[in-house]
Amino acid sequence: MEPLLRFENVSKHYPNGVHALKGVSFEMAEGEFISVIGPSGSGKSTLLRAINRLIPISGGTVWLDGQAVSAQRGAALRQLRRKVGMIFQNYNLVYSLSVLQNVLHGRLGYMGGVKGVFGRYSEEDKQEALDLLKELGLEEFSYNRSSDLSGGQKQRVGIARTIMQRPKLLLCDEPIASLDPSSAKTIMDLLKTMTRKRNIACIVNLHQLDVALKYSTRIIGLSKGEIVFDGRPEELDDATIEQIYGTSRKNLMIGGERNDQKNSAHCA
Amino acid sequence: MNADTVNCAAGAAQRPVEKKRSKIPVKYRQRNRFIPMFLAGVAALSVLSLAYLDIDWLKMTSRAGDIGVVFWDLAHLDFTNMDLILSSLVETVSIAVLSLLYSLILGIIFGMLAARNVFRLPWLSVLTQSFFTFLRAVPTPVWVLLMLVCLGMGPEAGVAGLCVHTTAFFTKSFAQSFESIPEETIEALEVTGASRLSIFMNAVLPAALSQIVAWAGMRLEVNFSECAILGMVGAGGVGYVISNSLQGYDYGTAGVAILLVFLVAYCIERVFVRIKKKFY
Repeated sequence: MEPLLRFENVSKHYPNGVHALKGVSFEMAEGEFISVIGPSGSGKSTLLRAINRLIPISGGTVWLDGQAVSAQRGAALRQLRRKVGMIFQNYNLVYSLSVLQNVLHGRLGYMGGVKGVFGRYSEEDKQEALDLLKELGLEEFSYNRSSDLSGGQKQRVGIARTIMQRPKLLLCDEPIASLDPSSAKTIMDLLKTMTRKRNIACIVNLHQLDVALKYSTRIIGLSKGEIVFDGRPEELDDATIEQIYGTSRKNLMIGGERNDQKNSAHCA
Repeated sequence: MNADTVNCAAGAAQRPVEKKRSKIPVKYRQRNRFIPMFLAGVAALSVLSLAYLDIDWLKMTSRAGDIGVVFWDLAHLDFTNMDLILSSLVETVSIAVLSLLYSLILGIIFGMLAARNVFRLPWLSVLTQSFFTFLRAVPTPVWVLLMLVCLGMGPEAGVAGLCVHTTAFFTKSFAQSFESIPEETIEALEVTGASRLSIFMNAVLPAALSQIVAWAGMRLEVNFSECAILGMVGAGGVGYVISNSLQGYDYGTAGVAILLVFLVAYCIERVFVRIKKKFY
C-alpha cells in the first residue's frame, strides 16, 4: 500500500545559509503517531512545514497521499492542504472572533466562491462544530470571544478547527510548549484519542522527551537537519539521546526525576 | 564582559578623585549619531525659511491687538440666522459622513490590494501603494477644486473631492493594519486550504476591525473640519456661511457657526472613543 507520507531525500537551504534539512527520508503509514524530537534549530519546524508547503523545500520530494507536494500550485495545493491539519504552539486563532467562528474556519478550504469569502457556513457544518466543541468540553464557550479563553482552552479550539478540516494527517508544532503541565496533559491526551478515533495520522514536534516516550508509536530524532534515530520509543537508548541532544539524558531532566512528566521547564 | 565590568568598578574605586565621570550611555550608539545631524538640519532649514520669507515682525506685532478685537466680535453670538447655520451644518455633516462611508468601502478594497501579506504579490502592493501615495500628495482642497470644475458647484463636488483623499489615506492606514496581523494567524488559515480572499475576509479583516473603527473615527473628525473649510471654496456646507458672514463683517453669525463646528467635532470624537472601547 502507498504510504500516507513519504520524504525522499528532502533538503532545505535557507537564504541566510542555514542548512535546515539534509537529505531526510522516511515513510509514514496511516494510524501512526510520530514524535519528532531534537534540540532547537535541528530542523523540526522545517520538517513539519515542508509537508504542507508552508516552507518550500530546496531538494528532494515530499509525497503526500500519492502526490508530490512541491509540484502543486494554486487550487491543487489548497486541495492538498485540506488533507493536512496543523496545530501551533501559539494556537493562532483569530482572537476577535467567537470560538465557534474559529472552529468553522476549518471548513473554509471546502467552500468555494462567495460562500467561503463571506463565511456562509452550512447548517450541517455548524452542527458538527458545536458537537465537536461539546466533545472537547468547550460547549459553554461556543459564543465567547476567543481572546477570553485560557491557553489550554485555546489549544482545544485549535484542535477542533483542525478536526473540522477532516484531515488525513495532523501536524502539531510544539503543541504544549506554552502550556502548564496539567493543560499539556489534557492536550496530549486529546490529540491521542481524537486522532485514533478518526484514524488520523499524527506528527508532533516535541521538546519534552518524556511526553514523546509516553504518547508516540514511533520517534524520529533530528540533529542538525539529519535523522539520527527512527524507531519505536522502547528502542531509544541513552546513547542515542546523547547523540540527538548533544548531552546526556540526566542533563535533560531539569527536575532530576526521570518520570517527572510534562516538566514545563523543558519548554525553554 | 563580566570581568571588564569588575575591572572598571575596581578602577573607579581606586581613583576617588575623578568622581566627575562622563554619563554612562544607555541608548545604542547608531541612533545617537543620527539625532544631532537631524537637529542641525532642522536648525539650518528654519534659519533659511525665516530669511526667505522676510517676515515683517514690526507689522505683525503692531497688528496683534486686532486678534483680540476679532475674537471679541466673534464672541457676540448672533442667533438670528440660526436656521441657515443649522441647515448648512447638517449639510456639512452629511458630506463628511457620505465621503467617509464611500472611502471606507474603497479603502478596505484597496488596502487589501496594498497589504503585502494578503495576496503575497509584491508588484500589486507596490503599484497600489505608489498610486495612492500620489493621490495623497495632492491636498484635499485641490481635489475639491478639481471636482468643482468637473461636477459643478455643490455638495457632490465636496463628497467626491473628500473621497479621493480619504480613500488614499485609508488605503495606506488599512494596509498597515492588515500587515500588523500576525503572520502565524494567516498561516493557520492557509493550512486549511482556504483561498487568499477568504483568508482576508474571515481572519484578516475581523482581526483589523477595531483598528479600522479607530481610523474611521479619526478621519470623520478630520473630514468634518476639512468640510468646513471646503465650503469656502464653494462645495456647500457651513464653511460657505462662515466665509460669507466673515466677508460681510457679520461676526456674530460666524461666531455661532464656528462654535457649532467645534461642538460637533467634539461630539464626534467622544462618540468614537465610546465605540472604540466596545471593540477593544
